[in-house]
Amino acid sequence: MREVSIIGVGAHPTGRFVEKPLKAIAYSAIWDALNDAGAAPADLQAAYVGNSLGGLLTGQEGVRGQVVLQHSGITGIPIVNVENACASAMTALRGAWLEVASGAADVALAVGVEKMNVGDSARTIGALSALSELELSEMGMQFTTSYAIHPKINLKARMQEYGWTIRDFAKPAVKNSFNGSLNPLAQHRRPLSIEEVVQSRIIVDPLTLLMCSSISDGAAAAVLCTSDRAARFTSKKPIQIASCVLRSGEYRLVDDERADSATTTALAAYQQAGIGPGELQAIELHDAMAPAELMLYERLGLCGPGEGPMLIDDHVTTLDGRQPVNPSGGLCSRGHPVGATGLLQICELVWQMRGQAGPRQIEPRPKVTMAQNQGGLLLGQDSAVYATTILTA
Amino acid sequence: MKLLNPANLRIPSEPRDTPCLLGGRCQECGHVVFPKMPVCPACRRNETMDEVEIGRTGKIYSHTIAHVAPQGFSAPFFQIFVDLPEGPRIFALVGSECPVEPGVLEDGMEMRLVVEPVADTPARKDVLTYKYVPAHLGGSA
Repeated sequence: MREVSIIGVGAHPTGRFVEKPLKAIAYSAIWDALNDAGAAPADLQAAYVGNSLGGLLTGQEGVRGQVVLQHSGITGIPIVNVENACASAMTALRGAWLEVASGAADVALAVGVEKMNVGDSARTIGALSALSELELSEMGMQFTTSYAIHPKINLKARMQEYGWTIRDFAKPAVKNSFNGSLNPLAQHRRPLSIEEVVQSRIIVDPLTLLMCSSISDGAAAAVLCTSDRAARFTSKKPIQIASCVLRSGEYRLVDDERADSATTTALAAYQQAGIGPGELQAIELHDAMAPAELMLYERLGLCGPGEGPMLIDDHVTTLDGRQPVNPSGGLCSRGHPVGATGLLQICELVWQMRGQAGPRQIEPRPKVTMAQNQGGLLLGQDSAVYATTILTA
Repeated sequence: MKLLNPANLRIPSEPRDTPCLLGGRCQECGHVVFPKMPVCPACRRNETMDEVEIGRTGKIYSHTIAHVAPQGFSAPFFQIFVDLPEGPRIFALVGSECPVEPGVLEDGMEMRLVVEPVADTPARKDVLTYKYVPAHLGGSA
């Protein structure tokens, strides 16, 4: 495998863009990434386009990648459509990475784009439910419920098991809202207090409104090339992809004692990169519901069982901490346009590693970072998709 | 009235019999799954799964009240995971005879299967599925 670098990234702001079609949202991210890389459409030899809900919500069921890229002047090359629920964008990144690492292409593009605001939130929530296996969604299963009581995470049970309180649940939302307040691309830019988060209305007990990521439109893109070609395009610091691991959920019977799939995915990423969790200097992780961040700390090896809230109390994962988590604001504050999220995480890490993150810049500049992305829900008591990428500078 | 998923649910023709779920049991390793599938997820053998009647009763593993609902459902509504005595832990809704209020359900509570419309909404009121209600509530299903 060849060494692969990210030489350009771009992102469309996350938020509500009802009048803007999918391809227009993607266009701005794609051309920001091309311009950032100093690359032109003619330089690209392959492209992967992640999108999850566009078929159900816009009616463009097929060939969304070709539609989106043609609008941006990218035609002729192999274009692969990627649907992998909330991990579609990181799956697209992996496709582009494999193209370049394998030698099939020297320069490749990864795009993630989502348009969730279609003027009817019940329809959007219905489309989100369709990211679970049909036997679950047709019974009314929704992701908020899955975070609250599903055996794979069961946040409600953690309150008993670990003694976590509703205030502990609010802490990641508060931390990330502060980070998001410093991010001009973020959807929700108001810093929140613990009281506000706890007292906002209950969505699915015990999760409150301000603990949940919201409906969002957005896009992100990255241009990848072999590390030895990076200097031909740009003088900016190239960011290496040290590992990019994709796994799928396991069928978990009640007596399943295997490690959680987020853990096995992270372990594979650590192993491939030759890096341990203690070396990470910035992390973007999949806090679709804010308190999930507390569980992911332990599943990614950042702390022991039940210690999650301490990482925030002790300023380990805050912006000024040793291992800042979700400097962008994370899914709840920056926004979670589902098929774009994995690449929005990558954009943030690249900006942080280059020292381009403005008022939310981590000091000293992180040299080793990780993005963790997951999505979907299967009957076998697991999420469908797990993806983890480690970057080095 | 039609069944949401006829392969998953058996409604007896004799009124004195009770409805049940249809799962699969592996002839080789004995694991029981719901819904049925052709390959055993535990031992990965193919064509070893027999249909088996399960889920007439269960115990609550976890429960919550959802205050938002996807299209075709109405909130608030209970959503639960139920441990069936045969082995599977399944997602389920709660029957309408159970009032949707905090404190009504508890983890570990004994439940029994009932058959009723998926939701009391125009889209789903004519489609039947399985739900669970506390065993101490009401009469026969």
